[in-house]
Amino acid sequence: MARQSQPTMSRALQRRENISGYLFLLPSLIFFIGFVVIPMVICIITSLTDANMHDQGMFGNFIGLSNFTRLWSDETFLEALKNTFIIVVVSVPTVCAFSLWVSSAIYKLSGPVLSAFRCIFYLPVVTGSVAVTVVWKWMYDNYTGIFNHVLKGAGLIEQNINWLGDPKYALWCIILILFTTSVGQPIVLYVSALGNVDQTLVEAAEVDGANSFQVFWKVKWAQMLPTTLYILVITTINSFQCFALIQLLTKGGAGTNTVMYHIYWTAFKLTEQAGHFGYANAMGVVLAIFIGLLSALQFKLAKEK
Amino acid sequence: MKKLLALLLAMVMVLGLAACGKKDETPPADDKGQTDTQTPATQEPAAAGEITLWTYPIGDWGKEDKVKAITDAFTADTGITVKVEYLAYADGDDKVNSAITAKSAPDLIMEGPERLVTNWGDKGYLVDLSDMLDDTDKSEINAAAMTACTHPNGAVYEYPLVVTAHCMAINLDAFKEAGADVYLDLENHTWTTNDFINAVEALYDHFQAPVGAVYCKGQGGDQGTRALVNNLYNGTFATPEHDRYTWDDSANIQALEQLKSMPGITFDASLEGGDEIKVFYQGILKMAFCWNIAQQLNPNQADTGAGKTANGEEIVFMGFPAQGRTPALQGGIWGFGIFDNGDQAKIDNAKTFIKWMCDSEHTVDAVKTANYFAARSAAEGTDLTGIWADNEIMNEYQVLMPYLGDYYQVTKGWAGARTEWWTMLQKVGEGADIAETVATYAKNANDAAAG
Repeated sequence: MARQSQPTMSRALQRRENISGYLFLLPSLIFFIGFVVIPMVICIITSLTDANMHDQGMFGNFIGLSNFTRLWSDETFLEALKNTFIIVVVSVPTVCAFSLWVSSAIYKLSGPVLSAFRCIFYLPVVTGSVAVTVVWKWMYDNYTGIFNHVLKGAGLIEQNINWLGDPKYALWCIILILFTTSVGQPIVLYVSALGNVDQTLVEAAEVDGANSFQVFWKVKWAQMLPTTLYILVITTINSFQCFALIQLLTKGGAGTNTVMYHIYWTAFKLTEQAGHFGYANAMGVVLAIFIGLLSALQFKLAKEK
Repeated sequence: MKKLLALLLAMVMVLGLAACGKKDETPPADDKGQTDTQTPATQEPAAAGEITLWTYPIGDWGKEDKVKAITDAFTADTGITVKVEYLAYADGDDKVNSAITAKSAPDLIMEGPERLVTNWGDKGYLVDLSDMLDDTDKSEINAAAMTACTHPNGAVYEYPLVVTAHCMAINLDAFKEAGADVYLDLENHTWTTNDFINAVEALYDHFQAPVGAVYCKGQGGDQGTRALVNNLYNGTFATPEHDRYTWDDSANIQALEQLKSMPGITFDASLEGGDEIKVFYQGILKMAFCWNIAQQLNPNQADTGAGKTANGEEIVFMGFPAQGRTPALQGGIWGFGIFDNGDQAKIDNAKTFIKWMCDSEHTVDAVKTANYFAARSAAEGTDLTGIWADNEIMNEYQVLMPYLGDYYQVTKGWAGARTEWWTMLQKVGEGADIAETVATYAKNANDAAAG
């Protein structure tokens, strides 16, 4: 009897535990569907319309792919897209390489020293982006900034450099700030990943005569690939979505306009223009497609590796 | 027990979520800092209702203590409470547009015709206030202000309260030090284009650094750069009919070429109007193109003394340089509009508020709170022409008021045109061909306005 009732009890228990699990999931699911899935669907639908803030209802008139075809002749959008790609192409590899280098240098340090380094690199991440940006803005200031003061004092420049107002420098200044605020998390992750590398494999490789580079490349790097993939994807997405720095520092001027900032400007500043919501959403869809493609490529390359 | 606990936890989380949702209906904590339900402490709120006012920082209408004093007096008089939210120019439009989209627009809004008439009024969000204006009102209100507040369809979407003329400012001590003060007519506060060119040259020779900035980071304070360019060789920004942008005329191109050729003038894409004022106030720049009487009374809003830089140097307001010393100054007109939220009682209360502020014996206080000049000569028998008689700076500033030019900010497609203007200035600053760049961006503005 006991043997017969056992499976029945287990199924009931399983069902109830499933229900409990789903109930626990429910609040997050409501948030996810309400604030991620539904807005995404709305964004895709309105990108095919001439929706704007002045007409009644959320959706305007269906206009097919007109918004998307218009994008490819919009010079401002194309410039923003180019700038966004420059940020991604420069920022992602440098963030990954730098954080890997720093992590390799510090992960064997003793506890308190390691913690101190983690704090230093993580500080810009946990500090509010507005506060960080304001400090950088002071340093970059054309008239009173410390960079110009130091460079002039050292005799390296004669005239002040307008760091955030000159297209030759502005985008690189933004990338530098983005870099400092992006390396914290990868460093912490890489330090953990390096700490979790199987030491028996490392020792075995060393016994077999592998040099330090071979140990790193053939043993450690291979075990850190999942972490690297995560860092690549997250850094790529963050770089694509660079907005706050642009908004606070240049407002898209001096050759720093990005797709995210252009979406905001089109949706909320150019409200007099016909179909501005639909057009801005079309940009959002294009950006999402690019992010998706790049992330998929990164996953594929990591899998092949 | 475990299952019961799991269910209980799940319910608590769901309820917590619902509670959070409910909480969102009240103003967020951040907003509360800026929001103030202004009920006088000495009087119980009457049953006359509550209205919401969103105001941009128009003089002291952006300062809570000053606004509270006047709205408290209004509440004591009428029983209508006023909930005020203070907007910044940086993101005020975003907030209003979001509120309109979410159908939660305020009852009252305080700003100028470029937003109230050309944008929100034109799109049908505002109530026509023409029933508040009889013949006496129309004769008392400044004609240019009345025209700017009236939509081409005849509806009045803004009831004007104050007007001023935007101007520029110079650091008189620096001018004297460089021997450039000889180019200034300090009695009439005017100068010619050649005076300006010579003064900038003298200042640059003396200080060996740019002394004025054509700021073009964004639209903040862009009236200054427009006025500078338009006035140098008598160019225009839009047609008198306000149906097309004309800043691609040869006079403006000549002005931009002149400015670009001057080493003392820099095209600075890292500054907006407010930033330029700060750098001028610090004594680094020797002239500011974003200026008006509110700045003259309290430079950089730093409360360090009227007409003085941070170092105590003397600031003198000036008209923009123009051939023949007769600039066409950009006007500033500010007043109230009422959003049509479908509640007639609130609309009526909002009209009571406007009448109290703009056309009653209390108008003196409302105008003085703005630190500008009254948009009308009298209000219900109260003479408004001499309300600043006791203020030497305000009195002196009136010398510029006859130079008020066309209020072209009501031209269709204004928000897009502003974006094209400062983007164009950036390109000019970067060294692009001036005539070609000006033509391209003026065309963009006209195309967007037409589309």
